[in-house]
Amino acid sequence: MSDFTNEEKIKSELEQKFHGAITNAAVTRSRRVWLDAETAKLPEIMAWLKAQGYNHLATVTGFDEGENLGAYYHVTDTHVIVTVKVKTPRANPSLPSVLAAFPGALSYERELEDMFGIKVQGLPPGRRYPLPEDFPTDQYPLRKDWKFVPPANEVEAK
Amino acid sequence: MTKITIPFGPQHPALKEPENFMLVLEGEQISGATINLGYNHRGMEKAAEDRTYIQDLYLIERVCGICSHSHTTCYITNVEELAKAETPKRALAIRTLFGELERVHSHLLWLGVAGYEMGFETLFMYTWRDREQVLDCLEMLSGNRVHYSINTIGGVRRDITAELSAEVKKRINFLMERTNYYIKLATEEPTVLARTQNVGKLPHDVAIERGAVGPTARASGVMRDVRKDDPYLIYGELDFKVITHNSNDVFGRLVVRALELVESYKMIHQILDNLPEGPIAVKVPMKIAPGEAVNHYEAPRGEDIHYLKSNGTDKPDRLKVRAPTLANLQSVAYMLEGGWLADVPLVIAAIDPCMSCTDRAAVWNPKKGKTEVYSWEEMRKMGIEHYKRRGVDFTRL
Repeated sequence: MSDFTNEEKIKSELEQKFHGAITNAAVTRSRRVWLDAETAKLPEIMAWLKAQGYNHLATVTGFDEGENLGAYYHVTDTHVIVTVKVKTPRANPSLPSVLAAFPGALSYERELEDMFGIKVQGLPPGRRYPLPEDFPTDQYPLRKDWKFVPPANEVEAK
Repeated sequence: MTKITIPFGPQHPALKEPENFMLVLEGEQISGATINLGYNHRGMEKAAEDRTYIQDLYLIERVCGICSHSHTTCYITNVEELAKAETPKRALAIRTLFGELERVHSHLLWLGVAGYEMGFETLFMYTWRDREQVLDCLEMLSGNRVHYSINTIGGVRRDITAELSAEVKKRINFLMERTNYYIKLATEEPTVLARTQNVGKLPHDVAIERGAVGPTARASGVMRDVRKDDPYLIYGELDFKVITHNSNDVFGRLVVRALELVESYKMIHQILDNLPEGPIAVKVPMKIAPGEAVNHYEAPRGEDIHYLKSNGTDKPDRLKVRAPTLANLQSVAYMLEGGWLADVPLVIAAIDPCMSCTDRAAVWNPKKGKTEVYSWEEMRKMGIEHYKRRGVDFTRL
Protein backbone atom coordinates (compact mmCIF):
# COMPACT_ATOMS: atom_id res chain seq x y z
CA MET A 1 0.00 0.00 0.00
CA SER A 2 2.89 2.31 -0.66
CA ASP A 3 0.73 4.50 -2.91
CA PHE A 4 -1.39 5.55 0.03
CA THR A 5 1.26 7.04 2.34
CA ASN A 6 -0.83 9.97 3.59
CA GLU A 7 -3.92 7.83 4.04
CA GLU A 8 -2.06 5.09 5.94
CA LYS A 9 -0.30 7.71 8.06
CA ILE A 10 -3.48 9.40 9.32
CA LYS A 11 -5.09 5.97 9.84
CA SER A 12 -2.24 4.60 11.98
CA GLU A 13 -1.88 7.87 13.90
CA LEU A 14 -5.58 7.80 14.74
CA GLU A 15 -5.38 4.16 15.84
CA GLN A 16 -2.39 4.92 18.02
CA LYS A 17 -3.77 8.10 19.57
CA PHE A 18 -7.25 6.72 20.26
CA HIS A 19 -6.29 3.13 20.98
CA GLY A 20 -9.40 1.02 21.58
CA ALA A 21 -11.84 3.75 20.59
CA ILE A 22 -11.33 3.20 16.87
CA THR A 23 -12.23 0.02 15.01
CA ASN A 24 -12.50 -1.15 11.39
CA ALA A 25 -10.24 1.62 10.10
CA ALA A 26 -9.63 1.10 6.39
CA VAL A 27 -8.20 2.88 3.37
CA THR A 28 -10.69 1.93 0.64
CA ARG A 29 -9.02 3.78 -2.21
CA SER A 30 -6.72 6.73 -2.72
CA ARG A 31 -7.78 9.71 -0.59
CA ARG A 32 -10.54 7.86 1.29
CA VAL A 33 -10.24 6.68 4.92
CA TRP A 34 -13.16 5.12 6.79
CA LEU A 35 -13.35 4.23 10.47
CA ASP A 36 -15.80 3.40 13.26
CA ALA A 37 -15.41 5.37 16.48
CA GLU A 38 -16.67 5.11 20.03
CA THR A 39 -19.55 7.59 20.32
CA ALA A 40 -18.35 9.28 23.53
CA LYS A 41 -14.89 9.95 22.01
CA LEU A 42 -16.31 11.72 18.93
CA PRO A 43 -15.68 15.38 19.95
CA GLU A 44 -12.14 14.50 21.04
CA ILE A 45 -11.39 12.71 17.75
CA MET A 46 -12.81 15.56 15.70
CA ALA A 47 -10.80 18.16 17.63
CA TRP A 48 -7.64 16.11 17.12
CA LEU A 49 -8.32 15.71 13.37
CA LYS A 50 -8.84 19.46 13.09
CA ALA A 51 -5.49 20.09 14.77
CA GLN A 52 -3.86 17.77 12.21
CA GLY A 53 -5.09 19.97 9.35
CA TYR A 54 -8.37 18.17 8.69
CA ASN A 55 -10.12 21.47 9.22
CA HIS A 56 -13.11 21.16 6.90
CA LEU A 57 -16.16 19.18 8.01
CA ALA A 58 -17.70 18.64 4.58
CA THR A 59 -20.97 17.27 5.92
CA VAL A 60 -22.64 14.85 8.34
CA THR A 61 -24.69 11.94 6.97
CA GLY A 62 -27.23 10.36 9.31
CA PHE A 63 -28.15 6.70 8.89
CA ASP A 64 -30.65 4.11 10.11
CA GLU A 65 -29.38 0.52 10.41
CA GLY A 66 -32.41 -0.86 12.25
CA GLU A 67 -31.20 -1.45 15.81
CA ASN A 68 -28.83 1.47 15.64
CA LEU A 69 -29.01 4.99 14.33
CA GLY A 70 -25.91 7.03 13.80
CA ALA A 71 -23.93 9.38 11.64
CA TYR A 72 -20.94 9.65 9.37
CA TYR A 73 -18.73 12.72 9.82
CA HIS A 74 -16.91 13.45 6.56
CA VAL A 75 -13.91 15.53 7.53
CA THR A 76 -11.23 16.54 5.07
CA ASP A 77 -7.97 18.46 4.62
CA THR A 78 -9.37 18.95 1.06
CA HIS A 79 -7.10 16.11 -0.19
CA VAL A 80 -8.13 13.11 1.93
CA ILE A 81 -11.67 12.54 3.21
CA VAL A 82 -11.75 10.79 6.60
CA THR A 83 -15.21 9.42 7.36
CA VAL A 84 -15.85 8.80 11.06
CA LYS A 85 -18.83 6.57 11.78
CA VAL A 86 -20.56 6.61 15.17
CA LYS A 87 -23.58 4.61 16.32
CA THR A 88 -26.26 5.15 18.94
CA PRO A 89 -29.05 2.80 20.07
CA ARG A 90 -32.45 3.37 18.43
CA ALA A 91 -34.22 3.19 21.83
CA ASN A 92 -32.48 6.32 23.10
CA PRO A 93 -30.53 7.89 20.25
CA SER A 94 -28.04 10.56 21.29
CA LEU A 95 -24.75 11.89 19.93
CA PRO A 96 -22.33 14.47 21.34
CA SER A 97 -22.07 17.75 19.44
CA VAL A 98 -18.90 18.57 17.48
CA LEU A 99 -19.64 22.33 17.42
CA ALA A 100 -16.68 23.10 19.68
CA ALA A 101 -14.30 22.04 16.91
CA PHE A 102 -16.49 22.78 13.88
CA PRO A 103 -18.89 25.73 14.37
CA GLY A 104 -20.00 25.31 10.76
CA ALA A 105 -21.66 22.00 11.67
CA LEU A 106 -24.73 23.69 13.16
CA SER A 107 -27.13 22.98 10.31
CA TYR A 108 -25.79 19.43 9.84
CA GLU A 109 -26.48 18.62 13.49
CA ARG A 110 -29.94 20.18 13.41
CA GLU A 111 -30.65 17.98 10.42
CA LEU A 112 -29.73 14.87 12.47
CA GLU A 113 -32.26 15.90 15.12
CA ASP A 114 -34.99 16.67 12.62
CA MET A 115 -34.63 13.86 10.12
CA PHE A 116 -33.48 11.00 12.40
CA GLY A 117 -34.58 12.08 15.87
CA ILE A 118 -31.04 11.76 17.20
CA LYS A 119 -30.63 14.04 20.21
CA VAL A 120 -27.44 16.03 19.76
CA GLN A 121 -26.00 16.86 23.20
CA GLY A 122 -24.69 20.42 23.36
CA LEU A 123 -26.62 21.86 20.44
CA PRO A 124 -27.71 25.44 21.29
CA PRO A 125 -31.45 26.16 21.27
CA GLY A 126 -32.80 27.54 18.02
CA ARG A 127 -35.16 27.02 15.15
CA ARG A 128 -35.49 23.56 13.65
CA TYR A 129 -33.96 22.70 10.30
CA PRO A 130 -34.91 21.62 7.65
CA LEU A 131 -38.49 20.59 8.45
CA PRO A 132 -41.29 23.16 8.71
CA GLU A 133 -42.36 24.50 12.09
CA ASP A 134 -45.70 22.65 11.99
CA PHE A 135 -44.21 19.24 11.20
CA PRO A 136 -44.95 16.69 13.99
CA THR A 137 -41.99 16.49 16.37
CA ASP A 138 -42.27 12.72 16.85
CA GLN A 139 -41.81 11.80 13.19
CA TYR A 140 -38.40 11.37 11.62
CA PRO A 141 -38.68 11.12 7.82
CA LEU A 142 -35.29 9.63 7.02
CA ARG A 143 -35.75 6.65 9.35
CA LYS A 144 -36.39 3.49 7.37
CA ASP A 145 -39.77 2.79 9.02
CA TRP A 146 -41.16 6.22 8.09
CA LYS A 147 -43.36 6.12 5.02
CA PHE A 148 -44.91 9.07 3.29
CA VAL A 149 -48.68 9.06 3.58
CA PRO A 150 -50.40 11.55 1.28
CA PRO A 151 -52.95 13.74 3.06
CA ALA A 152 -56.52 12.42 2.77
CA ASN A 153 -57.76 15.58 1.07
CA GLU A 154 -55.00 15.67 -1.54
CA VAL A 155 -56.22 16.25 -5.09
CA GLU A 156 -54.29 14.27 -7.66
CA ALA A 157 -52.73 16.26 -10.48
CA LYS A 158 -54.10 15.39 -13.91
CA MET B 1 -29.49 53.50 19.79
CA THR B 2 -32.37 51.04 20.04
CA LYS B 3 -31.91 47.75 18.31
CA ILE B 4 -34.55 46.52 15.93
CA THR B 5 -34.82 43.11 14.36
CA ILE B 6 -36.03 42.75 10.83
CA PRO B 7 -36.92 39.50 9.13
CA PHE B 8 -35.43 39.36 5.64
CA GLY B 9 -37.29 36.79 3.53
CA PRO B 10 -38.49 34.07 3.06
CA GLN B 11 -41.31 33.87 0.53
CA HIS B 12 -42.22 35.20 -2.86
CA PRO B 13 -44.07 33.11 -5.45
CA ALA B 14 -42.09 34.56 -8.35
CA LEU B 15 -38.72 33.51 -6.96
CA LYS B 16 -37.14 30.11 -6.66
CA GLU B 17 -35.57 29.22 -3.37
CA PRO B 18 -36.65 30.95 -0.19
CA GLU B 19 -34.76 31.50 3.03
CA ASN B 20 -34.91 33.92 5.89
CA PHE B 21 -32.35 36.24 7.50
CA MET B 22 -33.12 37.86 10.85
CA LEU B 23 -31.15 41.10 10.92
CA VAL B 24 -30.57 43.06 14.10
CA LEU B 25 -30.14 46.73 13.22
CA GLU B 26 -28.69 49.70 15.01
CA GLY B 27 -29.64 52.55 12.74
CA GLU B 28 -28.49 51.49 9.32
CA GLN B 29 -25.80 49.20 10.63
CA ILE B 30 -26.25 45.46 11.18
CA SER B 31 -25.15 44.23 14.58
CA GLY B 32 -26.27 40.62 14.27
CA ALA B 33 -27.65 38.19 11.75
CA THR B 34 -29.13 34.69 11.95
CA ILE B 35 -30.14 32.51 9.05
CA ASN B 36 -33.20 30.27 8.89
CA LEU B 37 -33.42 27.65 6.20
CA GLY B 38 -35.60 24.79 5.15
CA TYR B 39 -38.37 26.56 3.25
CA ASN B 40 -37.52 24.64 0.12
CA HIS B 41 -36.84 21.17 1.48
CA ARG B 42 -38.16 18.68 -1.03
CA GLY B 43 -37.31 15.39 0.67
CA MET B 44 -35.13 14.23 -2.20
CA GLU B 45 -32.90 12.03 -0.05
CA LYS B 46 -35.96 10.04 1.05
CA ALA B 47 -37.39 9.99 -2.46
CA ALA B 48 -34.10 8.59 -3.80
CA GLU B 49 -34.46 5.49 -1.62
CA ASP B 50 -37.67 4.51 -3.45
CA ARG B 51 -36.24 4.87 -6.95
CA THR B 52 -33.75 2.93 -9.04
CA TYR B 53 -30.25 4.25 -9.67
CA ILE B 54 -31.14 5.44 -13.16
CA GLN B 55 -34.38 7.12 -11.98
CA ASP B 56 -32.41 8.86 -9.24
CA LEU B 57 -30.11 10.31 -11.87
CA TYR B 58 -32.99 12.39 -13.20
CA LEU B 59 -34.18 13.21 -9.69
CA ILE B 60 -30.72 14.41 -8.63
CA GLU B 61 -30.39 16.52 -11.77
CA ARG B 62 -33.29 18.54 -10.40
CA VAL B 63 -31.60 19.40 -7.10
CA CYS B 64 -30.49 22.60 -8.81
CA GLY B 65 -31.30 24.37 -12.04
CA ILE B 66 -27.80 25.77 -12.48
CA CYS B 67 -25.54 23.06 -11.06
CA SER B 68 -27.55 20.24 -12.61
CA HIS B 69 -24.46 18.63 -14.13
CA SER B 70 -22.49 19.00 -10.88
CA HIS B 71 -24.98 16.99 -8.86
CA THR B 72 -25.46 14.20 -11.38
CA THR B 73 -21.71 13.85 -11.94
CA CYS B 74 -21.06 13.65 -8.22
CA TYR B 75 -23.86 11.09 -7.81
CA ILE B 76 -22.82 9.02 -10.80
CA THR B 77 -19.17 8.92 -9.68
CA ASN B 78 -20.41 7.25 -6.49
CA VAL B 79 -22.66 4.83 -8.41
CA GLU B 80 -19.87 3.84 -10.79
CA GLU B 81 -17.39 3.47 -7.93
CA LEU B 82 -19.78 1.08 -6.14
CA ALA B 83 -20.62 -0.83 -9.35
CA LYS B 84 -16.89 -0.99 -10.19
CA ALA B 85 -17.73 0.24 -13.68
CA GLU B 86 -14.88 1.15 -16.03
CA THR B 87 -16.21 4.41 -17.46
CA PRO B 88 -14.56 5.12 -20.85
CA LYS B 89 -12.04 7.94 -20.94
CA ARG B 90 -13.96 9.75 -23.67
CA ALA B 91 -17.07 9.86 -21.46
CA LEU B 92 -15.04 11.32 -18.58
CA ALA B 93 -13.65 14.00 -20.90
CA ILE B 94 -17.14 14.92 -22.12
CA ARG B 95 -18.35 15.14 -18.52
CA THR B 96 -15.43 17.45 -17.70
CA LEU B 97 -16.29 19.60 -20.73
CA PHE B 98 -19.87 19.95 -19.53
CA GLY B 99 -18.63 20.73 -16.02
CA GLU B 100 -16.58 23.65 -17.32
CA LEU B 101 -19.28 24.92 -19.70
CA GLU B 102 -21.62 24.87 -16.72
CA ARG B 103 -19.14 26.87 -14.65
CA VAL B 104 -18.88 29.45 -17.45
CA HIS B 105 -22.63 29.90 -17.67
CA SER B 106 -22.97 30.02 -13.88
CA HIS B 107 -20.17 32.59 -13.38
CA LEU B 108 -21.49 34.80 -16.20
CA LEU B 109 -24.93 34.62 -14.64
CA TRP B 110 -23.45 35.62 -11.28
CA LEU B 111 -21.53 38.52 -12.80
CA GLY B 112 -24.83 39.83 -14.16
CA VAL B 113 -26.63 39.37 -10.84
CA ALA B 114 -23.83 41.15 -8.98
CA GLY B 115 -24.01 44.02 -11.48
CA TYR B 116 -27.75 44.19 -11.05
CA GLU B 117 -27.63 44.23 -7.24
CA MET B 118 -25.11 47.08 -7.24
CA GLY B 119 -27.21 49.10 -9.68
CA PHE B 120 -24.99 48.51 -12.71
CA GLU B 121 -27.70 47.23 -15.03
CA THR B 122 -25.67 47.55 -18.22
CA LEU B 123 -23.28 44.89 -16.90
CA PHE B 124 -26.26 42.64 -16.21
CA MET B 125 -27.55 43.08 -19.78
CA TYR B 126 -24.10 42.46 -21.28
CA THR B 127 -23.19 39.31 -19.34
CA TRP B 128 -26.61 37.72 -19.78
CA ARG B 129 -26.48 38.38 -23.51
CA ASP B 130 -23.05 36.75 -23.66
CA ARG B 131 -24.21 33.87 -21.50
CA GLU B 132 -26.55 32.86 -24.33
CA GLN B 133 -23.43 31.78 -26.25
CA VAL B 134 -22.53 29.16 -23.68
CA LEU B 135 -26.13 28.03 -23.33
CA ASP B 136 -26.14 27.56 -27.10
CA CYS B 137 -23.05 25.37 -26.76
CA LEU B 138 -24.79 23.24 -24.14
CA GLU B 139 -27.91 22.97 -26.26
CA MET B 140 -25.92 21.97 -29.36
CA LEU B 141 -24.04 19.28 -27.46
CA SER B 142 -26.82 17.82 -25.32
CA GLY B 143 -30.11 19.03 -26.78
CA ASN B 144 -30.98 20.86 -23.55
CA ARG B 145 -30.23 24.30 -22.15
CA VAL B 146 -30.66 23.73 -18.43
CA HIS B 147 -30.96 20.06 -17.47
CA TYR B 148 -28.49 18.69 -20.00
CA SER B 149 -29.05 15.03 -19.02
CA ILE B 150 -25.74 14.20 -20.66
CA ASN B 151 -24.77 11.72 -17.93
CA THR B 152 -25.96 8.16 -17.86
CA ILE B 153 -24.71 5.35 -15.65
CA GLY B 154 -21.55 4.07 -17.30
CA GLY B 155 -20.88 7.07 -19.52
CA VAL B 156 -22.59 9.85 -21.43
CA ARG B 157 -25.56 9.85 -23.82
CA ARG B 158 -24.17 11.82 -26.74
CA ASP B 159 -20.90 12.03 -28.56
CA ILE B 160 -19.14 15.18 -29.78
CA THR B 161 -18.39 15.48 -33.50
CA ALA B 162 -15.62 17.58 -35.04
CA GLU B 163 -18.20 20.10 -36.32
CA LEU B 164 -19.72 20.52 -32.86
CA SER B 165 -16.28 20.94 -31.38
CA ALA B 166 -15.48 23.73 -33.87
CA GLU B 167 -18.76 25.51 -33.09
CA VAL B 168 -18.06 25.39 -29.35
CA LYS B 169 -14.54 26.76 -29.83
CA LYS B 170 -15.86 29.64 -31.95
CA ARG B 171 -18.22 30.69 -29.17
CA ILE B 172 -15.62 30.24 -26.44
CA ASN B 173 -13.19 32.51 -28.32
CA PHE B 174 -15.87 35.19 -28.48
CA LEU B 175 -16.51 34.82 -24.74
CA MET B 176 -12.79 35.03 -24.01
CA GLU B 177 -12.70 38.46 -25.63
CA ARG B 178 -15.77 39.61 -23.72
CA THR B 179 -14.40 38.29 -20.43
CA ASN B 180 -11.17 40.27 -20.82
CA TYR B 181 -13.34 43.36 -21.01
CA TYR B 182 -15.24 42.36 -17.86
CA ILE B 183 -12.00 41.75 -15.99
CA LYS B 184 -10.82 45.25 -16.92
CA LEU B 185 -14.18 46.63 -15.84
CA ALA B 186 -14.25 44.77 -12.53
CA THR B 187 -10.72 45.69 -11.53
CA GLU B 188 -10.47 49.30 -12.81
CA GLU B 189 -13.92 50.89 -12.84
CA PRO B 190 -14.03 53.17 -9.74
CA THR B 191 -17.80 52.83 -9.34
CA VAL B 192 -17.56 49.05 -9.12
CA LEU B 193 -14.68 49.35 -6.65
CA ALA B 194 -16.69 51.75 -4.47
CA ARG B 195 -19.52 49.25 -4.16
CA THR B 196 -17.46 46.11 -3.65
CA GLN B 197 -14.25 46.93 -1.79
CA ASN B 198 -14.34 46.33 1.98
CA VAL B 199 -17.93 45.10 1.71
CA GLY B 200 -18.90 41.75 3.24
CA LYS B 201 -15.54 41.01 4.81
CA LEU B 202 -14.68 37.36 5.51
CA PRO B 203 -11.17 37.00 6.98
CA HIS B 204 -9.06 33.96 6.05
CA ASP B 205 -9.32 32.16 9.40
CA VAL B 206 -13.07 32.76 9.69
CA ALA B 207 -13.57 31.31 6.22
CA ILE B 208 -11.80 28.12 7.33
CA GLU B 209 -13.53 28.05 10.72
CA ARG B 210 -17.00 28.30 9.16
CA GLY B 211 -16.25 25.83 6.39
CA ALA B 212 -16.60 28.19 3.42
CA VAL B 213 -16.18 26.61 -0.01
CA GLY B 214 -15.64 27.60 -3.62
CA PRO B 215 -15.02 31.16 -4.84
CA THR B 216 -16.24 32.48 -1.46
CA ALA B 217 -13.38 30.68 0.31
CA ARG B 218 -10.85 31.38 -2.46
CA ALA B 219 -11.54 35.13 -2.27
CA SER B 220 -10.43 34.91 1.38
CA GLY B 221 -7.13 33.38 0.33
CA VAL B 222 -8.12 29.78 1.09
CA MET B 223 -6.50 27.43 -1.46
CA ARG B 224 -9.39 25.03 -1.71
CA ASP B 225 -10.48 23.53 -5.02
CA VAL B 226 -11.59 19.91 -5.35
CA ARG B 227 -10.46 19.86 -8.99
CA LYS B 228 -6.85 20.27 -7.80
CA ASP B 229 -6.96 18.71 -4.34
CA ASP B 230 -8.83 15.49 -5.12
CA PRO B 231 -8.81 15.30 -8.94
CA TYR B 232 -11.84 13.56 -10.41
CA LEU B 233 -12.87 13.02 -14.07
CA ILE B 234 -9.83 14.15 -16.10
CA TYR B 235 -8.88 17.25 -14.09
CA GLY B 236 -5.60 15.57 -13.10
CA GLU B 237 -4.45 15.86 -16.73
CA LEU B 238 -5.55 19.43 -17.39
CA ASP B 239 -3.39 22.49 -16.98
CA PHE B 240 -5.13 25.16 -14.93
CA LYS B 241 -4.51 27.47 -12.00
CA VAL B 242 -6.49 27.77 -8.77
CA ILE B 243 -7.45 31.45 -8.51
CA THR B 244 -7.30 33.04 -5.07
CA HIS B 245 -7.50 36.61 -3.84
CA ASN B 246 -6.56 38.14 -0.51
CA SER B 247 -8.96 41.08 -0.26
CA ASN B 248 -11.57 38.96 1.67
CA ASP B 249 -14.46 41.08 0.32
CA VAL B 250 -17.05 41.21 -2.47
CA PHE B 251 -14.40 42.68 -4.78
CA GLY B 252 -12.24 39.58 -4.27
CA ARG B 253 -15.19 37.29 -5.03
CA LEU B 254 -15.77 39.27 -8.23
CA VAL B 255 -12.13 38.98 -9.33
CA VAL B 256 -11.90 35.27 -8.46
CA ARG B 257 -14.96 34.42 -10.57
CA ALA B 258 -13.89 36.59 -13.50
CA LEU B 259 -10.42 35.01 -13.59
CA GLU B 260 -11.87 31.52 -13.17
CA LEU B 261 -13.79 32.08 -16.39
CA VAL B 262 -10.47 32.42 -18.20
CA GLU B 263 -9.20 29.17 -16.65
CA SER B 264 -12.40 27.43 -17.75
CA TYR B 265 -11.98 28.62 -21.35
CA LYS B 266 -8.43 27.28 -21.32
CA MET B 267 -9.66 23.90 -20.06
CA ILE B 268 -12.47 23.73 -22.64
CA HIS B 269 -9.91 24.18 -25.42
CA GLN B 270 -7.61 21.57 -23.90
CA ILE B 271 -10.43 19.03 -23.64
CA LEU B 272 -11.69 19.60 -27.16
CA ASP B 273 -8.18 19.42 -28.62
CA ASN B 274 -7.32 16.17 -26.84
CA LEU B 275 -10.63 14.31 -26.80
CA PRO B 276 -9.72 10.61 -26.29
CA GLU B 277 -11.02 8.13 -28.87
CA GLY B 278 -13.26 5.24 -27.94
CA PRO B 279 -16.77 4.39 -26.80
CA ILE B 280 -18.82 6.89 -24.79
CA ALA B 281 -20.58 4.44 -22.45
CA VAL B 282 -20.40 0.95 -20.97
CA LYS B 283 -23.22 -1.22 -19.67
CA VAL B 284 -23.61 -1.28 -15.90
CA PRO B 285 -25.83 -3.88 -14.14
CA MET B 286 -29.04 -2.59 -12.55
CA LYS B 287 -28.24 -4.14 -9.17
CA ILE B 288 -25.24 -2.92 -7.23
CA ALA B 289 -23.44 -4.98 -4.56
CA PRO B 290 -23.44 -3.60 -0.98
CA GLY B 291 -20.92 -0.88 -0.35
CA GLU B 292 -20.52 2.79 0.42
CA ALA B 293 -18.76 5.68 -1.25
CA VAL B 294 -18.25 9.39 -0.70
CA ASN B 295 -17.20 11.79 -3.43
CA HIS B 296 -17.01 15.51 -3.83
CA TYR B 297 -17.08 17.80 -6.83
CA GLU B 298 -16.12 21.43 -7.42
CA ALA B 299 -19.43 22.94 -8.49
CA PRO B 300 -19.47 26.59 -9.67
CA ARG B 301 -20.41 27.62 -6.10
CA GLY B 302 -17.95 25.34 -4.34
CA GLU B 303 -17.61 21.85 -2.97
CA ASP B 304 -20.63 19.63 -3.51
CA ILE B 305 -20.45 16.35 -1.56
CA HIS B 306 -22.50 13.16 -1.97
CA TYR B 307 -22.53 9.99 0.11
CA LEU B 308 -24.07 6.83 -1.34
CA LYS B 309 -24.74 3.44 0.22
CA SER B 310 -25.85 0.45 -1.86
CA ASN B 311 -27.45 -2.72 -0.51
CA GLY B 312 -27.42 -5.23 -3.36
CA THR B 313 -30.72 -4.11 -4.91
CA ASP B 314 -31.33 -1.71 -7.81
CA LYS B 315 -32.16 1.10 -5.36
CA PRO B 316 -29.80 3.01 -3.07
CA ASP B 317 -29.99 2.42 0.66
CA ARG B 318 -29.04 5.97 1.54
CA LEU B 319 -28.10 9.01 -0.48
CA LYS B 320 -26.85 12.20 1.11
CA VAL B 321 -26.45 15.46 -0.78
CA ARG B 322 -24.79 18.58 0.60
CA ALA B 323 -24.87 21.49 -1.83
CA PRO B 324 -22.25 24.27 -1.61
CA THR B 325 -24.64 27.05 -0.58
CA LEU B 326 -25.42 25.30 2.72
CA ALA B 327 -21.72 25.31 3.57
CA ASN B 328 -21.38 28.99 2.64
CA LEU B 329 -24.40 30.34 4.50
CA GLN B 330 -22.61 30.06 7.86
CA SER B 331 -20.15 32.61 6.49
CA VAL B 332 -22.85 35.01 5.26
CA ALA B 333 -24.00 35.69 8.81
CA TYR B 334 -20.45 36.80 9.62
CA MET B 335 -20.16 38.93 6.45
CA LEU B 336 -23.37 40.81 7.22
CA GLU B 337 -22.44 41.70 10.80
CA GLY B 338 -21.05 45.22 11.10
CA GLY B 339 -22.07 46.08 7.55
CA TRP B 340 -24.73 48.42 6.22
CA LEU B 341 -28.33 47.46 5.50
CA ALA B 342 -27.77 48.90 2.02
CA ASP B 343 -25.12 46.25 1.30
CA VAL B 344 -27.27 43.26 2.27
CA PRO B 345 -28.44 42.33 -1.26
CA LEU B 346 -24.92 42.49 -2.66
CA VAL B 347 -23.31 40.56 0.20
CA ILE B 348 -25.87 37.77 -0.03
CA ALA B 349 -25.55 37.70 -3.81
CA ALA B 350 -21.76 37.58 -3.53
CA ILE B 351 -21.66 33.96 -2.33
CA ASP B 352 -23.76 33.23 -5.42
CA PRO B 353 -26.44 31.54 -3.35
CA CYS B 354 -28.40 28.93 -5.19
CA MET B 355 -31.52 30.95 -4.55
CA SER B 356 -32.63 34.48 -5.31
CA CYS B 357 -35.13 34.41 -2.63
CA THR B 358 -34.62 36.98 0.09
CA ASP B 359 -37.15 39.19 -1.54
CA ARG B 360 -39.30 40.49 1.28
CA ALA B 361 -38.21 42.38 4.35
CA ALA B 362 -40.50 43.65 7.09
CA VAL B 363 -39.03 46.68 8.85
CA TRP B 364 -40.47 47.64 12.18
CA ASN B 365 -40.47 51.40 12.47
CA PRO B 366 -40.27 52.36 16.17
CA LYS B 367 -41.40 55.94 15.49
CA LYS B 368 -44.52 54.95 13.64
CA GLY B 369 -44.94 51.86 15.82
CA LYS B 370 -45.87 49.67 12.89
CA THR B 371 -44.32 47.17 10.54
CA GLU B 372 -43.51 48.12 6.97
CA VAL B 373 -42.88 45.50 4.35
CA TYR B 374 -40.09 46.04 1.83
CA SER B 375 -39.86 43.98 -1.31
CA TRP B 376 -36.45 42.85 -2.59
CA GLU B 377 -36.87 45.42 -5.36
CA GLU B 378 -37.38 48.24 -2.83
CA MET B 379 -34.42 47.01 -0.77
CA ARG B 380 -32.29 47.08 -3.90
CA LYS B 381 -33.45 50.62 -4.79
CA MET B 382 -32.73 51.71 -1.24
CA GLY B 383 -29.19 50.34 -1.52
CA ILE B 384 -28.61 52.11 -4.83
CA GLU B 385 -29.99 55.43 -3.47
CA HIS B 386 -27.88 55.06 -0.31
CA TYR B 387 -24.74 54.94 -2.45
CA LYS B 388 -25.92 57.65 -4.87
CA ARG B 389 -26.09 60.09 -1.97
CA ARG B 390 -22.44 59.20 -1.33
CA GLY B 391 -21.44 59.81 -4.95
CA VAL B 392 -21.46 56.22 -6.28
CA ASP B 393 -23.72 56.42 -9.31
CA PHE B 394 -23.85 54.02 -12.23
CA THR B 395 -26.29 56.13 -14.25
CA ARG B 396 -23.45 58.50 -15.11
CA LEU B 397 -21.47 55.75 -16.86
